[in-house]
Amino acid sequence: MSAPVLEVSGLRAYYRTSAFGTRREVRAVDDVDLRIEAGEIYGLAGESSCGKTTLIKTIANAIQPPLEVLAGSVVFNFRDQRIDMHGASREELRDIRWKRLSYIMQGSMNVLNPVRRVRHAFVDFAFRHIGRSKAEFLDIVRAHLRRLHLEPDVLDAYPHQLSGGMRQRVTIALATVCRPEFIIADEPTTALDVVVQKGVLAMIHSVQREMGSSVIFVTHDMAVHANLTDRLGIMYGGRLVEEGRTADVFRRPRHPYTAHLIASLPRLGDAAPKEGLTGAPPNLADPPPGCRFHPRCPLASDICRREVPPMTERAPGHRAACFHSDQVSPP
Amino acid sequence: MISGYPLYLLGRLGQFALVVFIGINIAFIVTHATPIDPVEQSIAAATQFGSTSPEAIALMRQSLKELYGLEGGLAEQYASFWRRVAVGDFGPSLSAFPTPVSVLIGRALPWTVSLLVVSTLLTWALGNLLGGLAGYYAKNRTLRLAGLLAMAFHPIPYYIVAFLLLIVFGYLWPVLPISGGYKMNMARDWSWEFIGSLLIHGILPVCSLALVGLGGWFMGMRSLVSNIVTEDYVTYAELGGVKRGRILGSYVMRNALVPQITGLAMSLGAIFNGAIITEQVFGYPGVGTLLVSAVHVGDYSLVLGITTVSIVAVSLAVLLIDLLYPLLDPRVKAR
Repeated sequence: MSAPVLEVSGLRAYYRTSAFGTRREVRAVDDVDLRIEAGEIYGLAGESSCGKTTLIKTIANAIQPPLEVLAGSVVFNFRDQRIDMHGASREELRDIRWKRLSYIMQGSMNVLNPVRRVRHAFVDFAFRHIGRSKAEFLDIVRAHLRRLHLEPDVLDAYPHQLSGGMRQRVTIALATVCRPEFIIADEPTTALDVVVQKGVLAMIHSVQREMGSSVIFVTHDMAVHANLTDRLGIMYGGRLVEEGRTADVFRRPRHPYTAHLIASLPRLGDAAPKEGLTGAPPNLADPPPGCRFHPRCPLASDICRREVPPMTERAPGHRAACFHSDQVSPP
Repeated sequence: MISGYPLYLLGRLGQFALVVFIGINIAFIVTHATPIDPVEQSIAAATQFGSTSPEAIALMRQSLKELYGLEGGLAEQYASFWRRVAVGDFGPSLSAFPTPVSVLIGRALPWTVSLLVVSTLLTWALGNLLGGLAGYYAKNRTLRLAGLLAMAFHPIPYYIVAFLLLIVFGYLWPVLPISGGYKMNMARDWSWEFIGSLLIHGILPVCSLALVGLGGWFMGMRSLVSNIVTEDYVTYAELGGVKRGRILGSYVMRNALVPQITGLAMSLGAIFNGAIITEQVFGYPGVGTLLVSAVHVGDYSLVLGITTVSIVAVSLAVLLIDLLYPLLDPRVKAR
């Protein structure tokens, strides 16, 4: 078996600030291990402020103080190049960005420069990787847009002249024009209504299949994960708490938090009122000892308050960090 | 039916005319409400030495009123004022009678315009460049120091800076001329010597305006840029491996300059007011000096002339920038 395209090991990224002599440390990503195989769509789920965005920022090495990486590594194994995201030079990173690793971000409203035509974004981001004349380059871009069922005219539009859904499609076209091996998609459908969402998801899926890229897809929307992703990782309080094939996770969750997320989805014929999870997400500046979920967990016992549960394999390819994994009731 | 840009243009021109009309009316009212009477001023000047009989004074008052066009009620004066403004004639100056106001303004305007165009453009360009860099490279020590200096200089009133410059370069280390627009009694023949003299005389006034103005543009631009660098499109360009120089130029500065260009147009329009205090301090023969002396002697016509020119100039600058704005920021559409 070939090496996974992305290997994250023991990653710790904290926001560290010190104001008026008071040091504060927000443990947004704590001891995360994950591997993503070539060609798979890996979903990352969890509630707001659980560290999803910090994790992918750290993976992409888009970190700025006060965010710091304290430990661990992020390594990409591209087809003919291995790169350690936090050991590489600025130039090496610039070289892989967009050619091998690209991004689709939330808030497509604002990811394009408002005072310049869309064409310039393609030139700025992708021209240096394609290595042709300007005219040939623009032909390639037009052909790519047509393949994604977009009018090449959008190149001459300003971002504000496009609708939100259109802008997100243009961003996807922008992110895929260099046929990257790895795409990071951070909540790309969150701001869109469901109809547009469906179109955008279909687009990501077809591009991914056609190019064989790997995708890490972040959203808190479990329904999207169920439909799109191959494998699913659940984050809670800065830690990965469960990971497995998406179908397995939905069929038989091994962590009580995952079970709650899945139970919150509406089902046909189920008229019972949905129960919310009591309590609030943990304060990552002062997380609870032991398992970070224990204050809200119906299964919590003494050990959960004392020790951090390790991530262990519960079924083939299905890991969870819970001492009471067996007692988690299937939905 | 007209629509789109022509309609926008028409509406905007109407607005321009209205602003100018109201502005000039206010200027007329204010000048005519001043307690200084130009006729009495002239009589006082004429009778300063020796006594004159009351009959002679009454006669003098009558003929001066006729000469100055001040007979009749306020309404009559108002009507004749607009008749003259319509053809660009502000009548003769009352204090430098019978030189026409337009000649006086025409003589002073080149001084003021060149002084202020140079200092405003210089200040704007330098302030925005440094401010933009300081906002983008927020950790650079030199730029941080520049920020501190800008903050220290900005709140100082510019006449104090002007006096400091006078003391330092005119008295403590007398290397620069401190008064006038060129060397006294020099032939204005556009020889190299004359041009050199113009430049040397301009240094201190330009510096006094620039030192203070720089801080404003610098701090404005720096805070604009430090907001823009957190915008999604900047983060995205960084993730896209776009070159830093390109990000700074086309993404950060390009967006930050939009409001700054409005500011530039406003300050260019204000040029016609003259930098009153600077011109006074450095004895610069510009519009500011002219305006101050006109106010002192109650020269209605001259004050009105200068005010009108400046009202039209400011409104014109704003109009121009409004018409050009869609080119700078495509989101602003001519509706």
